[in-house]
Amino acid sequence: MYLLRFTILRFVQMLPVLIGITLCVFLLLRVMPGDPATLILGRRGTAEDIARLTAQLGLDRPLWQQYLMFLWDIAKGSLGQSIAYRAPVSAIIMERLPATLLLVAYSTVLTVLITVPLAIFVAMRKDRPADLLVKGLFVVLMSLPPFWLGILLILLFSIKLHWFPVSGYGSNIIENIWYLFLPALVIALATSALTIRSLRSSIIAVATADYVDTARAKGLRPGTVMRRHILRNSLVSTVSVLAVHTSWIIGGTVVVESVFAVPGLGYLLVSSIFTRDYPMVQGLTVTFAMLVVLISLLTDIAYALIDPRVRYD
Amino acid sequence: MISFWRWAQSAGLVIALGFATAMAVSDAKAETLFRLGVSEDALTLDPIASSDNPSIWAELLIYDTLIRPGTNGVDLEPGLAEKWTVAPDGKEYVFTLRDAKFSDGTPVTADDVIFSLKRAAGEKSDWARFFKPITSYEAVDQRTIKMTLETPFTPMLNNLALFSGAILPKSAETDPEFFTHPVGSGPFVLKEWRKGDRLVLAKNPHYWQQGKPAVDMAEVQVISEDNSRILKLQAGELDAIINVPFNQLKQLQSTAGIKTSAADVFRVEFVQLNTKKKPFDDQKVRQALNYAIDKQGIVDSVIFGNAVPAVSSISIMRYHNTDLKPYAYDPDKAKALLAEAGLAEGFSTTMLLPAGDSTLRNVGAVIQDNLQKIGVKVELQTLEGGAQWDTTKSGNYDMSLSYATSDTIDPDQLVGFTMVNPERANAYHTEWKDDRVNELYEAERKTLDGPEREAQFKEIEARVHEGAPYIFLYHQRAAYAWRDNVEGFAVLPTSNYRLEDVKMK
Repeated sequence: MYLLRFTILRFVQMLPVLIGITLCVFLLLRVMPGDPATLILGRRGTAEDIARLTAQLGLDRPLWQQYLMFLWDIAKGSLGQSIAYRAPVSAIIMERLPATLLLVAYSTVLTVLITVPLAIFVAMRKDRPADLLVKGLFVVLMSLPPFWLGILLILLFSIKLHWFPVSGYGSNIIENIWYLFLPALVIALATSALTIRSLRSSIIAVATADYVDTARAKGLRPGTVMRRHILRNSLVSTVSVLAVHTSWIIGGTVVVESVFAVPGLGYLLVSSIFTRDYPMVQGLTVTFAMLVVLISLLTDIAYALIDPRVRYD
Repeated sequence: MISFWRWAQSAGLVIALGFATAMAVSDAKAETLFRLGVSEDALTLDPIASSDNPSIWAELLIYDTLIRPGTNGVDLEPGLAEKWTVAPDGKEYVFTLRDAKFSDGTPVTADDVIFSLKRAAGEKSDWARFFKPITSYEAVDQRTIKMTLETPFTPMLNNLALFSGAILPKSAETDPEFFTHPVGSGPFVLKEWRKGDRLVLAKNPHYWQQGKPAVDMAEVQVISEDNSRILKLQAGELDAIINVPFNQLKQLQSTAGIKTSAADVFRVEFVQLNTKKKPFDDQKVRQALNYAIDKQGIVDSVIFGNAVPAVSSISIMRYHNTDLKPYAYDPDKAKALLAEAGLAEGFSTTMLLPAGDSTLRNVGAVIQDNLQKIGVKVELQTLEGGAQWDTTKSGNYDMSLSYATSDTIDPDQLVGFTMVNPERANAYHTEWKDDRVNELYEAERKTLDGPEREAQFKEIEARVHEGAPYIFLYHQRAAYAWRDNVEGFAVLPTSNYRLEDVKMK
């Protein structure tokens, strides 16, 4: 039951974080020049039109009132009404959330699939040509702009080989997995550059530990030694790296989303900032904050699974 | 390396299985489907709450207006109204509806029209100003509507052809969720809207134009990245795309199976000059700046020839003054004019640029270079769209690179916005004021369409050309491309497209 208590505690701890974040976003948005009513009506409306729309959107009230209204909305479980879409923010976010979550999960899975075998492979060939080659290759992959890497993959896998669609999202889960392969791969390749290096050095460090020698001396097969003793003990630091990166991906996939036309939250955030859709930006920030907390929770659970000594009391 | 191979094998198997199934599923096709790639998604389907093009274009596929701009961009043609009359004093309009039905099969009546137009002029409408001149409505019978104006207002007919005057069924009034499942009398019905991904449209079985639309389904897919949109067209995953970047147009033209075109749309690019500030308060200086810019050079090098030089701040449309010629590229004359204004040594100034628009950024660099040659040193300042508007509005700027588009086929809207002060925007924040232009604008709005109104607009345009509150640049076209199995796809002067005219071969 410690896990349940821990989870609840985590969410309670989140409250001050959430208030801090919403306050920052709220104030930053108001400091930015340009207001939504002018952006909507500017070129076509009169000054009275703009004043009327400002009042209609509740943006003529004092700032503190607007902020309290926003908090009150959250307390009621609503995120307010989008200015650009003229529809509830939560409905629009929920429509787009699956694509983002799937992309994040998919790229994390691909990262693990790329990282674990490759890290073991290079750790066992420390400083030999294969190690240097993989290291070099991933440094290049990490430094490529995701935009360019994405276009290259499209040219190769979609235009030349016709294995994957150029872009889009698909309409059922199987199509989703097919459509999202390339965008997930672009993210996974960049992330793997970090995780492979982290896991490689942990494996090399752990491989010299006494208990590994003991395991070998017991006569265990090399594969078993690697899986049970080396890999398991090496994973903790890599999981941290992966978790930090995954939290970042949630709001940071804008470029990948636009290259592959994935209807996710990153692109929605950027376009909402441009249209000064205050409620939408605020709602997205709250959503991102909750997702980041959720990921760090999952990370803690992953620690516990990897390392039985980890306890959260 | 047992573990490595085991990983690889199981992963490979899972992926291969997934794709095999996905491909099998995606083979099931609709009867005839037209897929259009656009760069932005619609925001809403409520015509009185829309100001972005994607929403407007989607609405024009779902709803009808009483009358609509013709495909040539010059004349109005019948929409839901098969005929209409305007009283000689310009105060009474009578519309006769055709025998049309909404997509749910109910007939379109005079009551629906009155409800929709009153709504467009109402409290919640962003477009009320365009419909308020109509002071009363009368349903003469189920298919005849009489509208009365207190004072004549000639742009009214064009305003009724705006998307915001779309005719909705009266039942929309009581349905708070109407715009998630809208009903209109237009060629298509909204089947599904996956926000940020695509708008799925099905043929409206009750559409009044016989034999249209020719396709059963149309999808408007959102692919914001220009390269991805082009690649998707090349891969055959899209049948047509809009917003083709000019630097890729030529290459696309020479691709087998793909055709391209660039439409003349109602748009004009210019540099606003703050005529309240020195030295821009001097007409000679403003004219000098116009002579100093190599417009054709910009069109050729930055727009790849897909534009025509401009003579004023309105687009090429009805009543355009064809006698005017663009300011010639003549640096010597520019220098002479500067000298006459007492600025033989030139001066230093700043120009605002909108962020994120690579075309305008390049244009800005050419302008900077051109002006350098007459001794005017320009510092470029990039501002995000909303900030640029606020800055020019507050009057705290020298020059600002911008553009304007027209929603209607009548010059009244752009004249009011870019030439008249104060009206709506103090001649688009240039603060330029010409009493004769203001006078002509008042007169034009009360004069019935014809030679007299034409003369008024031509005089306005000539005065603005002469007064030069802007550096007039060019009219940029809208480039689009389609696969050769598509027939009849075109971007209209109003920038939208009629998918009911599209045929698939």
